[in-house]
Amino acid sequence: MATKSRTMSGTGGRTAALFLIPFFTVFTVAMIAPVIYSLVLSFYAQQKSGLGFGGAKTSFVGLENYLQVFQSETFTGGLGRLALYCLLYIPCMVGGAVVFALLLDATVARARKLFQLLVFLPHAVPGVIAALIWAYLYTPGVSPLVQALESGGIQINFLDVHMVLPSIVNIAVWEWTGYNVIILFTALQAVPREILEAARVDGASEIRTALSIKFPLILPALSVIILFTVIGTLQLFTEPAIISKATASVTSTWVPNLWAYDAAFNRHNLNQAAAASIIIALLAAGLSLAVTRLSSRMNKA
Amino acid sequence: MKRHPLLRRRFLAGAAGLLSSAVLLAACGSGPAAQPTPAGDASGEITFWSSMAGMDKVAEKFNASQDKIKVKFETIPNGGNGGYAKLSTAITAGNGPDVSTIEYAQLPQFVSNGQVVELDGFINKANTVDKLSEQIRGLVQFDGKSYGLPYDAAPMLMWYRKDLLDKAGVAVPKTWDEFEAAGKKLKAVAPKSYLASFYPNEPTLTAALAWQAGAKWFSTEGDSWKLGLRDDATKKVATFWQRMIDQKIVKVEQAFSDEWSADLANGTLAGVLGANWGATGIQKRTEANGQKGKWIAAEAPNWGTPAGAFYGGSSFNITKSSKNPAAAAKFIEFLATSPEAVAARGNTGSAYLAYPGLTKEAQKAFDASYFGNDIYAVFDKAYATILPGWQWGPNWDVTNTALKDSFGALTTGGKISTALDSSAESTLSGLKQNGLSVKE
Repeated sequence: MATKSRTMSGTGGRTAALFLIPFFTVFTVAMIAPVIYSLVLSFYAQQKSGLGFGGAKTSFVGLENYLQVFQSETFTGGLGRLALYCLLYIPCMVGGAVVFALLLDATVARARKLFQLLVFLPHAVPGVIAALIWAYLYTPGVSPLVQALESGGIQINFLDVHMVLPSIVNIAVWEWTGYNVIILFTALQAVPREILEAARVDGASEIRTALSIKFPLILPALSVIILFTVIGTLQLFTEPAIISKATASVTSTWVPNLWAYDAAFNRHNLNQAAAASIIIALLAAGLSLAVTRLSSRMNKA
Repeated sequence: MKRHPLLRRRFLAGAAGLLSSAVLLAACGSGPAAQPTPAGDASGEITFWSSMAGMDKVAEKFNASQDKIKVKFETIPNGGNGGYAKLSTAITAGNGPDVSTIEYAQLPQFVSNGQVVELDGFINKANTVDKLSEQIRGLVQFDGKSYGLPYDAAPMLMWYRKDLLDKAGVAVPKTWDEFEAAGKKLKAVAPKSYLASFYPNEPTLTAALAWQAGAKWFSTEGDSWKLGLRDDATKKVATFWQRMIDQKIVKVEQAFSDEWSADLANGTLAGVLGANWGATGIQKRTEANGQKGKWIAAEAPNWGTPAGAFYGGSSFNITKSSKNPAAAAKFIEFLATSPEAVAARGNTGSAYLAYPGLTKEAQKAFDASYFGNDIYAVFDKAYATILPGWQWGPNWDVTNTALKDSFGALTTGGKISTALDSSAESTLSGLKQNGLSVKE
């Protein structure tokens, strides 16, 4: 450490600091300050008394808010639902992205550009719009999709309590597969062509090349994708919030983020909402750490 | 460390900045406290938030009618789309409007959170609050103090497709028993149609149904709240509607959704349980399908003796963030009591107003020719039977969301009674978490 800091002496440190100021100013205002404020909020509570018309007192309650969040069945239920969502979503989306990327890499150069565009197109649609479009496609009595299925003898309500989770997973898969295909495809482009040629000379088929050479070489990119997906999943909010307008199956506390929103703006308990947000942030941090550790171990092996 | 003085100074400055911003943020909790002052000659600029159609024109009319007070109008989303979240957050942060529009069900929680101010002292009480009917006054007064001037008094109603009822050979149902019989006959003629809908996303309508049956979901006993979500009247209503759902006489669907709109347009629905303000919505959803003259308004069926309830309705309030409550008071008096204000709103809303004598202005302004009967005559009759004594709880949104959430299971075998049970529990624990005294 000592030798290292000596090499950075002179004007180097000052210049670096100067360049870092803009970032840290914005970071402080937009990130650190709100987090600290939430932390402070989460340790207090607004206490009313009697009928509640006499005004409220703010008092320090320690970890009471955190306790209430964890004791809430709807919060833990939301976490469970999120786990189920991950279980459905990550294999579908990541699996789909890998298959598409490998197929894309194997097609002739001219068709490639077109497919690349087509696969990416859904991601160009903003999340809110995508959710609105799918809500329309899912709504019985309105949707041409449901009508077509019905005329084929299939009765299905995409929005009932049992189907709504897979339906929302489907929206996310539709939205994000293309984006991740592009990342994986870029990684595939970096695979040295000599290796692929050598494999071909040795008589390996396209499928064999894809599975034994290309796939292992894009594993680092794959772990990055999984990391982002896991963090993104914890932030699940838009799709269920939009779909909840079309069906009552999506409750106001369906996932942890919705729970925090409900606490803040429906139940007017900002302190509890702050505690829930901190818990969600800690979960995201913990999960990211776990995924990074796991993937770095995998890449070394 | 010694070699990076700039960095350290930066850090200290940053930390100081952080602290001061935390202090600032904490200070947001307490806005300017409004002191009651006589509203002699109020002047200045005030802002007004509402989600009601046509309110921009009312504000314009007010600005044109005098030159001391200037009102700046802003449309906000309605309650179902986050309007109350926006309002509540803005008031807490100290940058809310001077005048807000809050429905009766939500008003107590704004009062309880200290977000609207007491009107007595700002308004001319004898000319406003004292002239109202008892049922309406009870919805804006708490602990004997007024917190809002009522705009509309919206009676719950049924809207029917008269042609479809005729085809099924049934008359307009007067009681809920007749409603059930009519539903069965309708199903016999048109198996795929429904007499009405049950809306999982409109618990205020469920509350109105219970209110009409004599339930009291919220009442006060001394210094504590008493919950009645599981009282006998509510149980009766729950059993009845469960039977309607099970027999497919009513359809479970979200109000104001695409599904509901489609069902109205294509004639799947022969009726809509709603209120006077629903007229425009029904017209907009059905006029392209040649249903002019086919819709009629009717009093909601009852349990044997005429009884009604309010479904919806709004009040105007002065928020805690108002820096000019005197001017705001002048404006809400205009909004709630002036015939000019009602006329300026124009042909929208089919309002039924709380202040005596104003409804005839609203009737003049609204073009009701789309409907097959005299809808305002029906409004009058429905209004005359409203049961007095209903009160909204100190945090309706807790009950509201709990009911919405548990009604979600109705399409897959869930029961209304179970939903009421779980909502009663959620309300109980929600209010207790706020420190309120509550029992069932």
